Order: sequence, then structure tokens, then C-alpha cells
Amino acid sequence: MNAQQLGENIKQRFAAKVIDFETLGSDQLYVTITPDSLVEVAEHLYQDQGCRYVINGGTDRRQQRDAFLITHFFAQDEEKIYIAVHTEVGADDPQVDSITPVIPAANWSERETRDMVGVVPVGHPDPRRLVLSDDWPEDLYPLRYDVAHDVHPPPAEGVAPERLEPPEGASVVPIGPFFPVLEEPAYFRVFVEGEQVVGADYRGFYSHRGIEKLGCSVLTYNQVPFIAERICGICGYVHSCSYCQAAERAAGIEVPDRAEYIRTIMLELERLESHTLWLGIAGHIIGFDTVLMQTWRMREPLMWLCEQITGNRKTYGMNLVGGVRRDIKPEIYGDLRGVIDKIGDEWAELAEAIPGDSTLMARLQGTGILTPEVARARGAAGPTARGSGLAIDVRVDHPYAAYDRVEVNKCVYDSCDNRARARVRLGGTIDSINIIHQALDDMPDGPIMAEIDEELPAGRQAMSAVEAPRGEVFHWVLTGAENRPERWRVRAPTYANLQCVPPMLVGNALADVPISIGSYDPCFSCTERMEVVDVNSGQVRVYTEEQFRAEYDQPGAK
Amino acid sequence: MFKKLCEKSFPKSLWVYHCNVGACNGCDIEVIDVLTPYYDAERFGIKLVASPRHADVLLVCGPVTRQVVPALKRLYEAVPDPKLVIAIGSCAVGGGIWFDSYNIVGGADTILPVDYYIPGCPPRPEAILHGVAVALGLAEKEIESVHLKQLLDRPESVPVEVESLYS
Repeated sequence: MNAQQLGENIKQRFAAKVIDFETLGSDQLYVTITPDSLVEVAEHLYQDQGCRYVINGGTDRRQQRDAFLITHFFAQDEEKIYIAVHTEVGADDPQVDSITPVIPAANWSERETRDMVGVVPVGHPDPRRLVLSDDWPEDLYPLRYDVAHDVHPPPAEGVAPERLEPPEGASVVPIGPFFPVLEEPAYFRVFVEGEQVVGADYRGFYSHRGIEKLGCSVLTYNQVPFIAERICGICGYVHSCSYCQAAERAAGIEVPDRAEYIRTIMLELERLESHTLWLGIAGHIIGFDTVLMQTWRMREPLMWLCEQITGNRKTYGMNLVGGVRRDIKPEIYGDLRGVIDKIGDEWAELAEAIPGDSTLMARLQGTGILTPEVARARGAAGPTARGSGLAIDVRVDHPYAAYDRVEVNKCVYDSCDNRARARVRLGGTIDSINIIHQALDDMPDGPIMAEIDEELPAGRQAMSAVEAPRGEVFHWVLTGAENRPERWRVRAPTYANLQCVPPMLVGNALADVPISIGSYDPCFSCTERMEVVDVNSGQVRVYTEEQFRAEYDQPGAK
Repeated sequence: MFKKLCEKSFPKSLWVYHCNVGACNGCDIEVIDVLTPYYDAERFGIKLVASPRHADVLLVCGPVTRQVVPALKRLYEAVPDPKLVIAIGSCAVGGGIWFDSYNIVGGADTILPVDYYIPGCPPRPEAILHGVAVALGLAEKEIESVHLKQLLDRPESVPVEVESLYS
């Protein structure tokens, strides 16, 4: 089935409720439906078509259409299709039916759309503020076109996030906003009975910097990659790459082969760098600093290599719409292979030593259980999903750059615990090294930048996804006038993965909470790039200890 | 005078607390990098501590977001006197590329008195080490400082004077 056929199926089934559909290539489908059919179409895609929920985005189109455009994005991984479901709601009554009751993964993004664009999701189970700061005025929506990017409402005193009440008899252990094992600010409230976690509340979005607004109101097409790269200082290249691919696709620009290979190599170098970093931090979290020191020692030559290639240790500044700015010169191939081979050798030793270390295994095995059902319902991505037995990997499911020309293994484990997520990353690192070698072997000659003579046409749209070290990064670009996108929507993997945290913590001992959060490799700056406030999932399933043990044979046993 | 106070107060080892107030992580990982084997700041007695109450120095990374302001003020008060504040990275120095975005208050010095600035996006580990060494009186500034002014066209904004170690 391709996008065209899927569109026809949907049209046939929902008849007049589907206003129109269009496709971009065989792998992108854009369906426009009436607002009253949103829930049933979403449920059909999610339940019957087996689609995975990606994210929701809102666009202020009052200038063009006197309406707000609400878009839900889905991915059909088996058929390699991305689907955008558009619906327009009138500017005079900005309300839309919430799909969170049927698809829990939509929880945060519907609230984000409410905070940022002011379209209220009716029937949302947890309508608390998500993104904007506690002292932000109620009726000011930053992503509306008539709100300036530099509006600064006066601060208010004595405000606090809305909190969930702990269950009867439970105590609250606050973690954050500044906490040693979290490199970034975030505020967890963990509800405990004795040592046992019975629930959790999360208020994040401390790092919201308004990036989507800047991209749609101040910057130009070729400035956006640089701010996109600063969405995250660890996996920034995936964002600039994904944005550029979306803009290129929308404008119909063909990227030269060599640029695609260079992007592939840089993406894999970044994955190597991120996975080594993660393993060190994970060791640090469980109090095993030797792991931190060893992995970071291994990682450092990689940073020097990246500096040699791009001019900077991080935030490479390589991508532009149409290609890359710097070539990887053949003279450097030898150095590159040497550095990654050395990491590969040392990593293999480490990957062998870690499962044999009873201290580490005792902390990882059976802790932080995330069932495949919860992972799918909450839209988990990347190593988090693959550690729960969901075989999704954008590099294989929706190939981009040169990934259709190299061999990629999906590294999947189904023990659903912290150990599984660690093993996915341990295996993924070796795989990255193989991919870089393959790409260097096949690297074609030629230009690295497409010739672009004209302005990008307005009113076109495209989606693009990249497999970041933490999971799927998704960007949607709607081109606009004045040489900048009209709307640029970003979804970072942690956005989905963090929504899995509260159900995952339940049933663990308190001491396992930091490593369980750490096992996601959470990256709050990615998640919170665009808006501000507090977050949590409405329904936390509470297990009794017996139920928990019955379901996940003997957690904590070696 | 301040330098003398520093030399007197922090002669041997410096305990630092690192806080991210909205950064992209770039500076944070370089701060950790400084503590790992290649750069090994611990040989100068510099140690990362888990509680602000144990710290001599507050390292601030990132542009200050609205949501983080109350927590950051409390954090600063929790560090016992005498204390140093070092702003690391372009964002903490002056707000960085998001300096006028709606959810950004500005650089660290809009909320806290900042003693030293280490610019860069992200600053190299060597730059971070050098900045801390200058603060300790172990190294000299390599370039004369200049004063920069950043003016925002917001009514409540005030000119921010930035003293840079390098510019």
C-alpha cells in the first residue's frame, strides 16, 4: 500500500467527512477532514490501520483562511508512510475534539496546542497548562501571528504549577527542578509508600525557549538550521538535518548524493558521541563513576575528529537547505576510520564487561519496566521503544539521506527494563560504526550543495523524520512568504518518551527512579524547545506489589 | 579587592555546583567533559558537588527562562557566602540567540550577580578551565577586557554590560 491507496481507503470509508487528500511521493499523505470526524478518523488510523501517533500541531491561519489549522501526525511504519490529518476550526470558536481519550500519546501535544495557539481540546482528561510558564497570562498565545516573538508580559509573584494530588497515604518526594543527576531542569514529584513508588507527577518545560516561534517570525530558511541545531547541544545535527530535509522535500530540491552520504556519516558520528555519553551518565547515576570516566575518555577523540571535520566540537553548523556546507575530504577518511575503529574495539570490551558486572546488572535488570502496550499508547520512540520489543527505527522504516544504501540493523530487545534499553544502545553503537564504514566505502564524488536559484514556493508542506540517538525526530514545514516557513513543527523523541515515565516508575523502589529516568536518555531541551509549562499524564496505572511481581516475574532478582 | 578575597577564600579546592537554566545541553556536556580524564579539573581541586549548600561556585549554563527564575533565585540563596557565579556559554553570558524570545529573561546576570563570563557556543573545555583558573588567580587574562552593550527595544529593558574574558 502506498500513500495514494491509503488516502483512497480513508476517502472511501469516511466519504463526505474527508474533504480532500493529497500525496507527496508515495510516502506522505495529507488528509483534510471535517472537525466533527476527527476522533473517528484518528481512531481508525490508530486501531485499524496500525498507525503510530507522532504529534499534534496547531497553525494560526487566520490571515489566509480565517481559521486555525489543527494537524495530527501519524506514522504507518510497515507501509513506510507518514500521514498528516488536517482539520480547520473557525477563528470565532477555537475548539476541537480531543483525541487523547482514544490515543493517550496525544496528551501533551494537545495541551501544547492549547497553550501556544489557543485552540481548546474539548474532553481532554488532563487540561492543565503544559508549556508556558506559571506566570504567563491566560489569554496570550505566543504562536498566533499577531503576538510578537519578543512579547514579555510582566512577571507575577507567588505562582506555582498545578499539581496532582498524591494517592491517599502516600508521601511526596520532590526531585528537581535542579537535581544532580538531571543535567537539565525538570521537576518530578514522586509519590511513595515506604520505598515503593506508587505514582508520579511531572512538571517540565523549564527549558522552553520559543524556538518554533523564532523560526516562523524572525529567521529565514537558511538561518533556521542553525537555531534547529541549538534545540539540543547533544543531538543537534538530527534537528537541522530533519528540518532541511523537510524544506527540501517541500520545495522539490534534489540534494546531491555526496551531501546525503555526508549527512549519514555525521548523523552516525553524533549517535556514537551520544551513546558513549549516555553510558557514562548512566554509570554516574548508579554511582559507578568508573564507567563515566572510561566512556568519556573513549569519547574525547571523537570530539576532536568532529572538530577536524566541521570546525566545532558540537553544533556542527553543517546543514543548509539544499545540502551541506563542508565536505569530508578524502584525506581525512583514514583518521575517521582510525578513531571509530578504536572506539569500536574499546566499546566491544565494555559491552562484554557490563553484562558480567553483577553490580550494574542488579541495578538495571527488572527495573523501570515499560510494557509494549504502554510504549505504543504513549508513542515511545527509539531505544525506549526498541527496549520494549517495538521494532521501530526510522532509518529502516522511512529511509532518508543515504540510509537506503547502507545496511542498518534494528537492535530490539524485549525485556522492557533498563537493561534492555542499555543493550539497545550498546548494540546500536557497534552498528553505527559499521554504517560509517559502509558510507565511506561507497561515498560518491560530486557537489555537496544543490543549486537553488529561486525563492522557495509558498504554501507547500512536507514532513521529515530522522532517527536521533534517542528516537525519532519529526519535523513538519509549511512554506510561507518572506523567505521563511509559515509553520515549523518539531517533535523530539523525549517528548514522547517522557510521557512514558510516570507509568514506568510505578512499582519501582525509590532508589531506582533516577536510573529509570536516565534510561530514556532524557533531553528536556529538545522537548521543551518551543513552549513552556507543566506536564503530566492523567492516568497512572497503579500496581500492587503482587500484581507487579506476577506480571513481571521477580523484578529486582538478579 | 575581589580577587584578593577570592585568593583568600578559595586557596585550595573549589567545589562547584552546576545548574542548567534553560540551556541546550551543549555547555553542560562540556562542563562534564572538563571533569573527565582528558581535562581532569579535579587535579586543581575542582570538584562537582551534588548540593548547592556544599558549593563555593555556581556554574550557570543557558539563557534564563521565565519558568526557571524563582527556582534559580532560591538556588543562589542556598549557596553559602562567599560565593562566585560563573556564566558559561553565550546564552548565560547574554541570552544567546534567543535573547529576546518571549520566554527568555536574558543572560544569567539579569537575575544573579555574575562574577566571570566564559563565552562560546559551547565554550571549549580548555576555555572553561582557563576561565575558572583566572577566577582562582591561577592564570592571567590573555586579552584586555572590553565592554559590550546589548540594547533591547523593550521598555523595561536595561543595557547589559558584558565583560568578556576574550573579546
